[in-house]
Amino acid sequence: MTAVASTIPPSWYLLLASAVFCVGLFGVLTRRSALYFLMSVELMMNAANINFVAFALYYGDLTGQVFALFVIALAAAEVAIGIGIILVLYRNFGTTDVTVPAEMRW
Amino acid sequence: MVNGLPAVTALLPALLFAATGLTLLLVDTIRPDARSNTSMAVVGAIGSLAALAASVWLTASGAVNPDSGAVLLFADAIKVDTMALFFTAIFASVTALVLVAAHDYFHDHDNPAAFYSLVTFAATGMAILAVANSLAVVFVALEMVSLPSYVLVAYLKQNRGSVEAGLKYFLVGALSSAIFLFGISLVYAATGSLILSDIASASIEGLTGVLGVGIVMMIGGVAFKTASVPFHFWAPEAYEGAPAPVSAFLSSASKAAGFVVAFRVFTEAFPIEMAVAANIDWMLAFAILAAVTMTLGNFAAAVQEEVKRMLAYSSIGHAGYALIGVAALTVDGPANGTVMGAAMAHLLVYGFMNTGAFLFVAMAERWGVGRTFADYAGLWRRAPVASVAMAVFMFSLAGLPPFAGFFSKYFLFQAAIDNGFLWLAGLGAINSVVSLYYYSRVVKALFLDDPASPSALDAIDVRPTALYAAVVFAAVATVLLLPGFGPVIETAEAAASALF
Repeated sequence: MTAVASTIPPSWYLLLASAVFCVGLFGVLTRRSALYFLMSVELMMNAANINFVAFALYYGDLTGQVFALFVIALAAAEVAIGIGIILVLYRNFGTTDVTVPAEMRW
Repeated sequence: MVNGLPAVTALLPALLFAATGLTLLLVDTIRPDARSNTSMAVVGAIGSLAALAASVWLTASGAVNPDSGAVLLFADAIKVDTMALFFTAIFASVTALVLVAAHDYFHDHDNPAAFYSLVTFAATGMAILAVANSLAVVFVALEMVSLPSYVLVAYLKQNRGSVEAGLKYFLVGALSSAIFLFGISLVYAATGSLILSDIASASIEGLTGVLGVGIVMMIGGVAFKTASVPFHFWAPEAYEGAPAPVSAFLSSASKAAGFVVAFRVFTEAFPIEMAVAANIDWMLAFAILAAVTMTLGNFAAAVQEEVKRMLAYSSIGHAGYALIGVAALTVDGPANGTVMGAAMAHLLVYGFMNTGAFLFVAMAERWGVGRTFADYAGLWRRAPVASVAMAVFMFSLAGLPPFAGFFSKYFLFQAAIDNGFLWLAGLGAINSVVSLYYYSRVVKALFLDDPASPSALDAIDVRPTALYAAVVFAAVATVLLLPGFGPVIETAEAAASALF
């Protein structure tokens, strides 16, 4: 355990990550625009990254930090796909409001 | 590995999928004018069949088997064992059927190459998911499956239903993968490792609660991929709106990919003894999910008017049956390996019969007959072979005795009873009876009902040969699995027993 990690208890990292995760989840549940949805999901994934980086430091192994890099790349890929789908959504429905498309019943 | 082959040979199925996808993409990029739908489909199907042959060869040759131990690669992040190869065989079979069927479905589409390569890339992700021995690999492979799948669902980009389905699939998928990822991060926080066996052996000092929350969140990710409660509600939308070959691919192969995560990650990273001792009873969570999922799926399917939507709910119901494989596990249970093996065998049989059923729907869409049960009335008169095949799929899905679906369900419920889960098996049996009602509605429409008007069937003026071939092949496989069920269940049980 390094000096920095020993000064801040790991529970604080968990609290921070959980708070960021909950902000993201709140955004997912309340926002109607698909673009806000994407941003909120990014927040949730970055909350996980906080955990990975913080506990990689805590345990003194690099796995978590390296995986955080993977997650950043995957999140970017997911946004690219998401923007593409939102684009065809806009072309077909003229809006990015996720509640508007209702061709099929839920 | 035997025969002096390098250990990486064990990854041959995944490598073949990746090479096929890249070849298709490369040819499409270099010679966009010279591409031909037929040659793309042929290359894709040959690649999938090669992956299937490779996984069967690796299993049969004994290069990878429970006795000689699994092949570990890349600092233990990859573990190739019989279970992985069994699931890879399911993915490869479904992929081959879907690619062949897509040849006729997308006959007038301007860019079929993208479709074929996306399907093979998703299959690559599935093959990697099956061998993942680290949560990092699990997540990366899961995204490799999900990202092409979102695009495939929204593939008909001028079609509002397809785009809406793609959007809903993406929204739920992105949310659940974020939840799954946060679950992984909590497991890492509690145990300090991402390798499954190291997680199992880590000492958890006072972080049991964190681990428990992490496990629950990971169950959420699995529930999305397998289309189980509480993340099932994307499935009817996505399957209904997506092009029918994509629905077939998602509901058979992608669902099996979710189960391989459930089977391997939960039994290896969170062993049953440890979970019970730490009061994190994930088996109970899966048992509740299985019961709710199968009941909801079957009862919702019974009230549908559209065949494709009925199949979507039936696919949720079957996810409930397969979940018994992770739900009916106990500490030192006598039938732990048997019940999981039976669930694997059920997923294999389901891969053929469900893909076949969706491909029949694809054929109906190609003909332009409607989507409801009533629109299928009297199809038998114009398409006898395909209708007989559809009847085989329906009766097999319902689990009627002469078909493979009966045996896989029978072994599954029997193993659950052996492990003391009589209530789960009983609920499954009741649900199977309910399912017989809506499956036989399709058969009744095809064979007994008269068409609404004499001209209703005139739409059937084309003979989609490749689609026909795929449907008939799936039906033949469903029937042939009847005599061939012995080796299948033995392989599956041996593979599953190696996990305990």
